[in-house]
Amino acid sequence: MSTCDFIRPARKPLTENEVPVVRLVGVTKRFGKVVANNNINLDLYPGRIKALLGENGAGKSTMMSMLAGRYKPDEGHIEIDGKVMDFSSSKEAINAGIGMVYQHFMLVESMTVAQNVLLGQTGGFFINPKEMEKRVGELAGRFGLDVAPGARVCDLSMGEKQRVEILKLLYRDSRILIFDEPTAVLTPEETIRLFEALWKMAEQGKSIVFISHKLEEVLALADDIAILRRGVIEGEVDPDCVESKADLACRMVGKEVILEIDRAPMESGKPVLEVRNLSGMGLNEVDFEVRQGEIVALVGVAGNGQKPLVESICGLRKPPRDTIVIGGKPWRRFFAESTWKRSLSYIPEDRLGLATLRECDMVDNILLTTRKGFAIGPWLDKKRASTETVGLVEKFDIRPGRIQALAWQLSGGNLQKAVLARELYREPVLIVAEQPTQGLDISATEEVWKRLLEVRAMAGILLVTGDLNEALQLADRIAVIYNGRILGMLPTSDKATPDKIGPLMAGIVEEAAV
Amino acid sequence: MLTGFKLRKRDEPWKWGALVIFLGALLISLLISAFLLEGQGKSAIDGLFILWDGSFGHVWALEGALLKAVPIFLCSLGVAISFRMQIWNIGAEGQFALGAIGATWMALSFPHLHWTLLMPLMFIMAFLLGGLWAGIPAALKLKLKVNEIISTLMLNYIAILLLDYLVFGIWKDPSSYGFPMTPKFSENARILGMFGSSVHWGVALCVAVGAAFWAFMRYTRLGYELKASGQGPRVAKYAGMPYGFLVMFVMCMSGGLAGWAGCVEVAGTTGRLEPSLMVGYGYTAIVVAWLARLEPLNIAFASFLLAALRVGVENLQLELQIPAAFGEIMEGMILLSVLAGQFFLTYKLERRKLSD
Repeated sequence: MSTCDFIRPARKPLTENEVPVVRLVGVTKRFGKVVANNNINLDLYPGRIKALLGENGAGKSTMMSMLAGRYKPDEGHIEIDGKVMDFSSSKEAINAGIGMVYQHFMLVESMTVAQNVLLGQTGGFFINPKEMEKRVGELAGRFGLDVAPGARVCDLSMGEKQRVEILKLLYRDSRILIFDEPTAVLTPEETIRLFEALWKMAEQGKSIVFISHKLEEVLALADDIAILRRGVIEGEVDPDCVESKADLACRMVGKEVILEIDRAPMESGKPVLEVRNLSGMGLNEVDFEVRQGEIVALVGVAGNGQKPLVESICGLRKPPRDTIVIGGKPWRRFFAESTWKRSLSYIPEDRLGLATLRECDMVDNILLTTRKGFAIGPWLDKKRASTETVGLVEKFDIRPGRIQALAWQLSGGNLQKAVLARELYREPVLIVAEQPTQGLDISATEEVWKRLLEVRAMAGILLVTGDLNEALQLADRIAVIYNGRILGMLPTSDKATPDKIGPLMAGIVEEAAV
Repeated sequence: MLTGFKLRKRDEPWKWGALVIFLGALLISLLISAFLLEGQGKSAIDGLFILWDGSFGHVWALEGALLKAVPIFLCSLGVAISFRMQIWNIGAEGQFALGAIGATWMALSFPHLHWTLLMPLMFIMAFLLGGLWAGIPAALKLKLKVNEIISTLMLNYIAILLLDYLVFGIWKDPSSYGFPMTPKFSENARILGMFGSSVHWGVALCVAVGAAFWAFMRYTRLGYELKASGQGPRVAKYAGMPYGFLVMFVMCMSGGLAGWAGCVEVAGTTGRLEPSLMVGYGYTAIVVAWLARLEPLNIAFASFLLAALRVGVENLQLELQIPAAFGEIMEGMILLSVLAGQFFLTYKLERRKLSD
């Protein structure tokens, strides 16, 4: 989200005699030798939204997991209403009024909204569905969480599912609501509606914690901002006193960060990807090409045909004949003759489920797409693979620096660096990068951007992204997809482009733009 | 919930957890077995002593256990290779039967062939039939998306009926007084004891196959691809792996190994094909593979342990007139308590503090 065009209610100043509902006092948590949280002191007040800003791995999740009763602090304690609490399970935390909305929803897909909200509630064994829906509907209305209580969860959008999660907490009378990167799964429009609901909840006295690393959102939403860096509260700032986003970003990562990146011009060469008149699978006459040396961004609201397009280019689904040409070869021939080097690299959105093997170590994960380069007859040269992996880990600064680390142990940013390291090792001619910086902190984002710009020297890049800023920063041309159709191919050199994208994403075509 | 204790999720993995859980589960299973013995009016102390004596107390017991461990080990290795790819082959029993049939077919067709020719022929045919039998569910899975758990299980019953048909019908020994069994194999078709003992060369085969399996998974490209595609067909496709081929391959290997187990059983132990060959090694193999967490060396130990348990229970049956199902009950209990015990790999029990 690049702009926040909505009106927020006036911020209330914190009065002197306000009593915090939750206090973290000197909380420290260690995992082995790693100190995840060090001497954290934090106060949460009723009716206020506290944003917790920090990079991946800064310790945000650990801190909130302690609050939610999943971990126990090694030192320090948590006070609620001035009383020292010692949670030994998340149940106890829920009873104390703390509720958390996780990034991954925990809903029963086949049940209705009302059933999900009331699931696990104590009370009568049989509840009249009408009565159930009425109660949930009232609750939803009170907080402006628009969702039909009788609808089945599997039919809902991500935004609506999130509202159901919130309703679950509100129904339990949670007073402290923690949101772990809630906007990662939302469209810009849904994000605004979430913000409005959050303000409404704060108005009614709920204390809200909003975890994010999106600066604009934090600035627009929060009453207070706490910055967490390397397990330590780096400082608390008043959003009204923040001079610039760069200033905030700087405090978050501890060094000056350029949120913009210099894109040196690059000569474009032969086409490496040609999509010709591709229809079917939810697509409609998609037609474009990507040349070596350029980045073409594909933007659009999620679910407008990006998935089938990417999956057919990358060989996960079969497109109709003669619609896709990669590196000068028709799709079928390309995948039949596919080599590990100088070929197609796909950097998928689903890093842990598709791009890496979660239970395997770094060497095995590097081998996933490069194994043919390490094969000697039927054997695999594991020794050389280990040496190369050590080199890549060093070159891309993938932490922790051990090659024995398993994929699931890596943080999002490091995992993405590992995927990138592996895919660039293949010296591809075409790269399809899908949401390459989603969920990454600023320094990791910058790193990924830099690498992508660098590899233009050898490859053409199709960048599928929901982040308009990313598209504008990196791409030479931006293709806007709506309802399976590419509504416009806009050069970023044109000053008017940023303004044209929004309407196109919403499917509004003023003139014959194509 | 126990008062005075509470559960807490482990922050770090438990180092010796797997071993402690295994031994603990074994102990619990033995205790429950002791209660079951008492319930039948037998002395539990005597029972457990006889069980130990019959499993490990004598040379004959150890030899018996080793012999029984051979088919269990081979089947279990086969099951493990498919499980590693997350293909749930629970048809080792049927593939074992087909292997036995294949070996018998060769042994009965060419009884006068020299053993250096006949033996390889029997093993090849056993591997082929076992592998093809497992290839059916693999093809069904790939072409029609049939769940392999159900198809492999159902094929077990068909395989057993096929075996019955052969020994009751066309292969029945005319001089068996009507008993359902084939004639005894010729000497050329028998696997003999090693160094004059009753332990036959099947044990050596197990060692070789186990080492080959380990090296295959660790050092070959195909082994790596099998492991990687355990994450599912999408990951395999992403990495450019031939998922369909891998499924076929892994199932045929799996079935082939179970087939070898059948071959070793008829050629080494019984010397003929008969219905009593089917004593559930294929199912025990699943228990073993799971207990051993799919590691070849662990599979060897677990196979021996469960084989020893079988021998011990047979002894118990003779001495105390315990029903035959007792062994199966114990096997099931060990598996269930180990599986239940895995809970403690992620959670630990803590003493509740007084302040709570």
